[in-house]
Amino acid sequence: MSDGTDKLLEIRNLRVDFPVRGGLFTAVRDVNFSIRKGETFGLVGESGSGKTTIGRAIVRIAQASSGEILFRGRRINGRITRELDSEVVQKIQMIFQDPMASLNERAKVDYIVSEGIINLGKFKNEAERLALVEKALLEVGLLPEFASRFPHEFSGGQRQRIGIARSLIMEPELVICDEPISALDVSIRAQVLNLMSELQKSKGLTYLFIAHDLSVVRFITDRIAVINKGELVELAETEELFAHPLHPYTRALLSAIPVPDPILERKKVLIVYDPASRDYRTDKPAWTEIAAGHFARANEAEAAEYRRLLAR
Amino acid sequence: MADGKAVAAGPPAAVVAKGDAAAGADPALFTFAEFDRDAGERIGWSNYSYWRSTLHMFLRNRVALFLLVLLGTILAFTFLQPLLPNQRSPTLINIDPATGRQFRNLVPSAEYWFGTNSIGQDLWSRIWSGTRTSLLIGIIVGVVEMVLGIAFGAIWGYVRKADRVFTEVYNVLNNIPTTIVLMLLAYIMRPSFQTMVIAMCAAGWHGVARFVRNQIVIIRDREYNLASRCLGTPTHRIIMKNLLPYLVSVIMLQTALSIPGTIGWEVFLTYIGIGLPVSIPSLGNLVNEGRLIMMAPELRYQLIFPTIVVSIITISFYVLGNAFSDASDPRNHV
Repeated sequence: MSDGTDKLLEIRNLRVDFPVRGGLFTAVRDVNFSIRKGETFGLVGESGSGKTTIGRAIVRIAQASSGEILFRGRRINGRITRELDSEVVQKIQMIFQDPMASLNERAKVDYIVSEGIINLGKFKNEAERLALVEKALLEVGLLPEFASRFPHEFSGGQRQRIGIARSLIMEPELVICDEPISALDVSIRAQVLNLMSELQKSKGLTYLFIAHDLSVVRFITDRIAVINKGELVELAETEELFAHPLHPYTRALLSAIPVPDPILERKKVLIVYDPASRDYRTDKPAWTEIAAGHFARANEAEAAEYRRLLAR
Repeated sequence: MADGKAVAAGPPAAVVAKGDAAAGADPALFTFAEFDRDAGERIGWSNYSYWRSTLHMFLRNRVALFLLVLLGTILAFTFLQPLLPNQRSPTLINIDPATGRQFRNLVPSAEYWFGTNSIGQDLWSRIWSGTRTSLLIGIIVGVVEMVLGIAFGAIWGYVRKADRVFTEVYNVLNNIPTTIVLMLLAYIMRPSFQTMVIAMCAAGWHGVARFVRNQIVIIRDREYNLASRCLGTPTHRIIMKNLLPYLVSVIMLQTALSIPGTIGWEVFLTYIGIGLPVSIPSLGNLVNEGRLIMMAPELRYQLIFPTIVVSIITISFYVLGNAFSDASDPRNHV
């Protein structure tokens, strides 16, 4: 693992609001984390917790209301120059959740895959463009002849791989994977996950892996951040988090992982997270480093309690 | 780990099965198949083409095909008719050489197939001339409205910052009654073919723009459009490549319906007296003339003939529009 200083992406005090009837809805608030070069950073939380919004704020589909998103130390949210904009478009790419919805049904695979390089003008002539498309398709295990077909002719796994090819042709450094396998058939998930791991190794990619399936996240990520109602509640290295979950929400989440054993599953005790169980009236919670690399949202009393738990 | 074991357990079983089969059968009939990873990717495919499938689906609709041929023949004939031998000018007032009086209100006969009107003009040639004028107005207005409506509607729908401004402008324009716009423009300019076209485009384009806008708002936040934004696709290409191709069927239906609608407006404007001048035959003029003498049963042919043509055109465009809309919807493609 890297030494922790090589931060590819850093998020500071990120807040994202959406206008709703009669005011603003805060989808994400006070989010702080950084992603190291070459790692797979997992972001987990329940539906509506704001994990997709964070991903979208990084690729600037959603506007950050306040806070900073730094890519290689440069601020990329808010107003940025045209050069930085096209650099960010090239360096940060996204893989979408639903392969059925994320491909343009009226365009051929050829156009879908080369859309990004057309925008950036990354080729000199038509022959070079076709060669790049062919290479991108081969890299994700698709046949070059697929370029002349329409997306509806492919299976879910193949469509997701077209989506991966579309992002990889840009030669990105950071890929935001927004639940890339949750819409796939279970039999296809391993195939796509393995492909993503191979590509990470061969191209030195960094992933922000957004998911709600904890067993998948445990399998693929190096570090995990847990998000609840727009706030990060805990962040640690994957095995550390699974071994010593501190925040009650994280514990509740981990207790919900299904066990592939019907007898154990029936006896399993689910922990239910109750936000009202904690008293934050006088002692406000803050994003605190409990142990090296292990952060949690806690007030001082809780932090002391968590440190005691970890020391044991 | 579990996966690896399952795979490892596979081959020995297969070898045993193969051995059994080979023992009982002629080995020449069996060859070992090489493992080919690509073979798993190959899928049945249809060589699908959007426009070819659209055409195919459209041609399967016999009624629509018949009406298309009918409409095409009518349009072609309106241009051919003046070139045929023994045709009278639609504006010529026919005079009986014996008496020196006009052939007024002659019922249909071998000489005047559709009869003559109240000042002795040949209704047959007037109907074809009028159909040509009205169809041209309808088609030109339909196309202009579609072009303006798509251009403004696409920007209105996709560019969020423009939404507010466009909506306010639309509200103002839309709150002026169409009749008043048409009447004002028809008064300001001289009654002519161009005036009609300009007036009706001015009255109708913003309705089309709002229609296109609503359609675009429905699809603009689908994931494939977000993906294009992530790839840095400029707005104009998102509109051309991602949005408009999805709207082909609804836009074509809208345009097909607007053509008979325009002809209807033309009839109405002529009825209230600000349509085309009487010197230019149009379906509006003909229906209006026929309406004046509607109460005399023996003269009703002067209303019936133009009405039949208007009906055929209206129904044809309606059915054609629906048929094309269905055919161009890829959900209906096999």
